[in-house]
Amino acid sequence: MTAAEIFDRGYRTFDGERAGVGKAVRSVAWHTIRSILGLGRKGRHKVFPIIVAVVAFLPSIGFLALSVLIGDLMEGELQPEYWELFGLPIVAVMLFATLVAPEAIVRDRRDGMLRLYLSTPLTAPTYLAAKFVAVMTSMAIVVAGPALLYLAANTIQGLGPDGFANWLEVAAKLLLSSGIIVVFFAAVSLGAASVTDRRAFASVAVLAALFGVSIVVNISVESIGASRTLLVLDPLSVPLETAARIFGDNSDGYTDFDTGEVVPTGLVYGGTALWIAAGFGVLADRYRRIGAV
Amino acid sequence: MPFVTVISAAGLTMQFGSQRALDSLDLEVPKGVTGLVGANGAGKTTLMSIALGLRPATSGTITVLGLDPTKDAARLRSVVGYGPERNVLPEDMPASDFVKHLAEVRGMPKSEARGRASDALWLVGLGEERFRALGTMSTGQRQRVKLAQAIAADPSLVLLDEPTDGLDPVQRDEMLALIRQISADYGIDVLLSSHLLEEVERICDNIVALDAGRLVAQGPLASLVGDTTTITAELVEIVERPRAVDAVEERLREAGLDVRRDLNQLRVTAADQQTSLDAIRDAVAAEQARLRRVVVDRTTLEDLFTEAST
Repeated sequence: MTAAEIFDRGYRTFDGERAGVGKAVRSVAWHTIRSILGLGRKGRHKVFPIIVAVVAFLPSIGFLALSVLIGDLMEGELQPEYWELFGLPIVAVMLFATLVAPEAIVRDRRDGMLRLYLSTPLTAPTYLAAKFVAVMTSMAIVVAGPALLYLAANTIQGLGPDGFANWLEVAAKLLLSSGIIVVFFAAVSLGAASVTDRRAFASVAVLAALFGVSIVVNISVESIGASRTLLVLDPLSVPLETAARIFGDNSDGYTDFDTGEVVPTGLVYGGTALWIAAGFGVLADRYRRIGAV
Repeated sequence: MPFVTVISAAGLTMQFGSQRALDSLDLEVPKGVTGLVGANGAGKTTLMSIALGLRPATSGTITVLGLDPTKDAARLRSVVGYGPERNVLPEDMPASDFVKHLAEVRGMPKSEARGRASDALWLVGLGEERFRALGTMSTGQRQRVKLAQAIAADPSLVLLDEPTDGLDPVQRDEMLALIRQISADYGIDVLLSSHLLEEVERICDNIVALDAGRLVAQGPLASLVGDTTTITAELVEIVERPRAVDAVEERLREAGLDVRRDLNQLRVTAADQQTSLDAIRDAVAAEQARLRRVVVDRTTLEDLFTEAST
């Protein structure tokens, strides 16, 4: 039997090259994605991300199952528009924005990590960039994932767009729509969550921003008779409407059935941009006020 | 070019509204372990924040390791470790993951960060505990984890804000020994803030003393404290010699001694202990005063700080 021996490498100096801010941003982003998705954490932290993923992928998988079962019958009226596939994923991403995304920044403020991060090569803007990338990437899984899955499966079954150029156009539009939806909800959820360092209050703040404003806008339009144009300020409908416009379509809600007027596309894009700018603005202002913590 | 001054500041001022947190500080922090001392609110944490580039000073200049924290913040902070005062850490994260993650953020390659995190945790005495979640650790262990994360990325300088806060005397001794070790064995310069002068005196080579944002003393501890002693002579007022204490005080001053009076106690700060004791004896005898007791103490940092801030 060989005698056991412990080799003490010991603390030593580092002679290699240090990575820069880009690596720090990637490291924090990846660390945050793992935390958001519950990876490397206890089982209870994984439950909600799984529920969100199920809700998001359900319609795409359902339509795929139908197309496999009834084949060509799916062509025509039964086949959804590609932008309509974002309907349930948007519900899922709203749940995500309310209950999971605040964790990305609130936790760091509560448990002292923010101050430690800011003592590294990261600054407040690069820290927020890392958090934003993490939240966007996590949301992209449930927004872009189902639509791209549906496109790929349809293509394999011969039910996809005609010709390679059309296919590329649809794929690009799906990615663009997904990107805008993800940026929209990431900006709104992080902006609203930044007003507090308590997670429950952060979720309430996101709920208030999304559902509170939506209720006010819809009551104004449907009950008080305000212009339908006001719907571009409804954070629950304008992201999906933006996707519809990217595909050259529009939803029923943005059409006045008495006059046949449709809310102009420019205003829809403007409403989306306004919400994104507001989210970023609140986030930047909040972290400017927090300063060095 | 190798620097000899770790932190250098000139006219450094920090104003928060109407409150001046730092008031025209001129500082030179040399290599080694430097104690940043002062009461709570003296400006220690503000000075550390400015040194890290976390906030700009209202006026004045500061360089850390030869770099301007406002212009070279990212470069500076990749070679400076920091242990914050706040004793809150991510509850459900294992210590090894926590230290590794921060080492990566400070620029260590992934594979190197894992090894260094482990080494740093072994160094601070948490090798066997490194996979435990931070939330299950004691205050002393968490302070050690904070030290480990500060040194894991091989910094040139470590800023430690109240690293013994919340520790019992044994844990405090161990923490101070560790801090001394990382400087002596690995050449890492340390700026250690504390409101406990005794612990600073035990391990620091140099001190910077702040009081209400003003610099009250700085320099090598040995030259500030030196071999001076404080001799306290307690006299008794007696009816026959009603002004004896005044007269003794007067004689000691005439002998060129530094005398402070507190009721019937005369405190003499002296470089030459024997000469001072002789002078006290002679003055008491000459004035026929009654001496209750004489206590000889080595001058402490606390004496200096008290004297400088009054």
